[in-house]
Amino acid sequence: MDRKNIYKGWEEQASKELRDKNLKDHFWETPEGIKVKPLYTEDDLQKINHEIGLPGLPPYTRGPRATMYTNRPWTIRQYAGFSTAEESNKFYKEGLKNGVMGLSVAFDLATHRGYDSDHPRVVADVGNAGVAIDSIEDMNLLFDGIPLDQMSVSMTMNGAVIPVLASFIASGEEQGCPREKLTGTIQNDILKEFMVRNTFIFPPKPSMRIVADIIEYTSKKMPKFNSISISGYHMQEAGANQVQELAYTLADGKEYIKSALERGLNIDEFAPRLSFFWSIGMNFFMEIAKMRAARYMWSKIVKEFKPKNDRSLALRTHCQTSGVSLMEQDAYNNIVRTTIEAMAAVMGGTQSLHTNSFDEALALPTKFSARIARNTQLIISEETGICNVIDPMAGSYYVESLTSSIVEESQKLISEIDEVGGMVKAIEMGIPKMRIEESSAKRQARVDSNEETIVGVNKYKPTEKQEINILSIDNVEVRKRQVSRLQKLKNSRDNKIVESFIEKIKNAASSDENLLEICIEASKNRCTVGEMTSAMESVFGRHNLSTKTISGVYKNTVKNDGKIDIIDNELNKFVNKKGRRPRMLVVKMGQDGHDRGAKLIATAFSDLGFDVDIGPLFQTPEEAAKQAIENDAHVIGVSTLAAGHKTLVPLLMESLKNNEASYIKVICGGVIPPDDHPFLYDLGVSKVFGPGTNIQEAAIEIINLL
Amino acid sequence: MKLKSYLKLFKISNIDFSKEIGISSVSLSRYISGERLPEKKILNKIFKLTNGSVDANDFFLSSSPSRDLSEIHKKEIKKMVLNIRGGKLKDLAKAITLVESSLKLHNAQADFLLSKLKQNKNSLRVGITGVPGVGKSTFIETFGMSLIDLGFKVAVLAIDPSSKRTGGSILGDKTRMMKLSVNKNAFIRPSPSQGNLGGVAKKTSESIRCLEEAGFNIIFIETMGVGQAETTVYDMVDIFLVLLLPSGGDELQGIKKGIIEMADVIIINKADGNLKNTAEITMLEYKNAQNMISNIREDISPEVFLCSSTESIGITKIWNFIKKFEKIRRDSGSFYKTRIQQQTKAIWRNILLQSQDYIENNLKYNDSVKKIIKDVEKNNFDVNNASKIIFDFILKRNT
Repeated sequence: MDRKNIYKGWEEQASKELRDKNLKDHFWETPEGIKVKPLYTEDDLQKINHEIGLPGLPPYTRGPRATMYTNRPWTIRQYAGFSTAEESNKFYKEGLKNGVMGLSVAFDLATHRGYDSDHPRVVADVGNAGVAIDSIEDMNLLFDGIPLDQMSVSMTMNGAVIPVLASFIASGEEQGCPREKLTGTIQNDILKEFMVRNTFIFPPKPSMRIVADIIEYTSKKMPKFNSISISGYHMQEAGANQVQELAYTLADGKEYIKSALERGLNIDEFAPRLSFFWSIGMNFFMEIAKMRAARYMWSKIVKEFKPKNDRSLALRTHCQTSGVSLMEQDAYNNIVRTTIEAMAAVMGGTQSLHTNSFDEALALPTKFSARIARNTQLIISEETGICNVIDPMAGSYYVESLTSSIVEESQKLISEIDEVGGMVKAIEMGIPKMRIEESSAKRQARVDSNEETIVGVNKYKPTEKQEINILSIDNVEVRKRQVSRLQKLKNSRDNKIVESFIEKIKNAASSDENLLEICIEASKNRCTVGEMTSAMESVFGRHNLSTKTISGVYKNTVKNDGKIDIIDNELNKFVNKKGRRPRMLVVKMGQDGHDRGAKLIATAFSDLGFDVDIGPLFQTPEEAAKQAIENDAHVIGVSTLAAGHKTLVPLLMESLKNNEASYIKVICGGVIPPDDHPFLYDLGVSKVFGPGTNIQEAAIEIINLL
Repeated sequence: MKLKSYLKLFKISNIDFSKEIGISSVSLSRYISGERLPEKKILNKIFKLTNGSVDANDFFLSSSPSRDLSEIHKKEIKKMVLNIRGGKLKDLAKAITLVESSLKLHNAQADFLLSKLKQNKNSLRVGITGVPGVGKSTFIETFGMSLIDLGFKVAVLAIDPSSKRTGGSILGDKTRMMKLSVNKNAFIRPSPSQGNLGGVAKKTSESIRCLEEAGFNIIFIETMGVGQAETTVYDMVDIFLVLLLPSGGDELQGIKKGIIEMADVIIINKADGNLKNTAEITMLEYKNAQNMISNIREDISPEVFLCSSTESIGITKIWNFIKKFEKIRRDSGSFYKTRIQQQTKAIWRNILLQSQDYIENNLKYNDSVKKIIKDVEKNNFDVNNASKIIFDFILKRNT
């Protein structure tokens, strides 16, 4: 029998098993719009439009290195946001003893936005979500006793990338490590900041110039250092589907290449040092296919720029398991989720991997949860035998077909970006942001109406509450220490020299002199991160984001299972009693730019019939209070993800009280450890919602609250 | 209307009026207080003497109770007015909420509040319109901040669309007015249109008066630029600004030609970067077109400007023109004359709105009306007759 007839035979058999159900109903349309069949066969391999090839050779679909894990497994790179240089230093030394092979530095929000710890706008941000670095002195403490010529260091820094990288290089030299020996990666991916994470400082144009400055400098002086980590991670975290993550990240990469070429660099000088960063979520095969498609597509994209060195075509990547897939409810399930995601990253051929700790939906990891996360990787690497074979998924009917579909779908999105004239233009027009927010609202609607299962959250909910020990940070104490250290620095340095460097930085910013080069010298002379940033700011200006919102997507996707009718009914009652719709101000205070949650709440609640005000990013509590009072909101919804709530919410309550406006109710949502709930309720907060809250149920609760 | 109100309106004494009807002034007082009902003959006389202003219904129906505020409410409102004058934002915000509310009690409170406010002749009311994305908020941010630097107090009323399907709205104007929204000399209030553009406009003109009482002397009213709301907003501002994007005719920009014709100032916005040339061409096109449009203001012609809110280009020129516009019109008296005409228009607009509201929320639910309409549907009743009878319900409605 020929293949066609065999397949027919299967169809008949399957239809029999399905009885009265149709085989067509067993096709699955993924959130990316890809139609997945219940069965793939040899025939599907004939239809693929990408090239599979061999590992270590163009187009690198099977991996950037010829030997992959058979020679050396991926780098276990654990990232943790400890608040002070001393504590982080301790954490690094502990990790190095236990199998971690590279260091990752997460910076606090104040540093990201280029503010020193004593700046009045960052009272609640110092020490949150990472380490506070104000100057080279803090860098010296951070790497105390860690030989930088032997240890690869990855730094998640985009906004204040110049002063931070400069301080790092300067600190290395004070330690005795010349710059050409430094290894590691700086994220330096500003385009995705404008798209999703909002941790930018300057407008897009000068920001792109800074990226080029860094690529130029590192390609000439730091041959072992990755000048940029082009990141899709934060897009998926913000709600992008895998195709969007892939397409927009590659389009970002293309834009960086163009701006480096404009700078007069040769493609082979810098392309081999470009690296990538993916988020790995729960859609197992899709993630593997995404990583393979990425390598194939990148080699095609770079090829257009006519490199002579094949290494320029190879995509190397870091991966992190998905943070949004972590749930507050039934939190131990997160260990299992992270394991599955880590497996996908390994099957997809990552070069380094960070596994999240299971308590990260609640707070920073504890020693215990960090150990489990690390061990997850060690077990995959050393107990399973997975490392013994290169790219085991290659040739799978399903995985190769999926890879092909992803290539095709992402190509469409990339063409859309190309048509408007590249990523900078597209970002100015708000195209990628809008698309990502759309996906995010759709996903929430699917989860809220139980179309997508999350175990322990919308199905199989635990009957008992589990107590989980979590780590909390005393942000006030951290700030006090940082401020006094800054004071000491400012008293002991030669301020005349500092001023002369500030002038030099301003001059460099207004000419085409390399900013990194001058800032390395400035760091050595004890200029602070904040001072260097404001020198550049005086030339470039600080970028303000114009917030665009979407509407209707949530309502169109959600299935009405009766809750919508209840909400409509409650809303009518409310309007008849109060003379207007419930009005909610959604605010993000402090320097945390992750606005996915806030945007999602805003669009979903307005779709449900609320009047929703949104506040500008980076508001202070006083500004938020003023806005709520002026707009006469019934309730302020505080979205908080970066532990700022312990300082910011008390200030907000106080500000309302000072303005005789305590009649305005306050609710909080986001990443808030359960241990902090009593603290917030004592302050007068009416309700605290965690991650994974069903929005419709929350809406009903809020109407009743008012 | 009530006899008492009629006599007060025309300043007629009880004694004079009672003489004319031929009754004692004591009896008249009893009719007025509602102690006694006048008989048919007397009713007829009153009807004739008042030219139909006072009819039988005015004696039989008591006025709707919600119109009368309790003393406690009045005291609260008086305190509110004092606080507004004292610059308390909270009270100003609450006053606007009362004005915008759909509750009868709130409306009565708002009416009482408005009756306590002074007339402000020194403020400048500026209407701004343009399609979504033209950069209205960013323009107001830059322009407003420069006015604050000159010593003005700036208020912004932004009317945002409500969803027709769910009634909800997203009010994001302040995210585009970051500096202005935190400045203590600025007050920004976005309002949902609630699907009723004309209705919001009525409330807007009342909100303007609250803002003026609080000492704001430049007041921006921002609308979406797609039709209905603009004509009503035009009738409550002193000067009307229309923002356009570089390139494209009115149709292309989705803006109605009628709106362009109302403009005192046409601003080609976003004239920066690679749009600069296109902006200049657009400006020329509109300048030429202006020659053909008859001027709506008798004393000054509209002008066209290029502007970039992000690069602060054109702001000073626009302000200079606005100042010139204001001075010429104040000197000629037309500035204030227009405001008075606007008040008359507001009366008729309010009456239309109230009738509409009465029709939608009462009349359509009246059992007799429903029966009449059913009969018309069954061809048992003629349309003209039916309309006449139903219209009588409105005439008899006592407010």
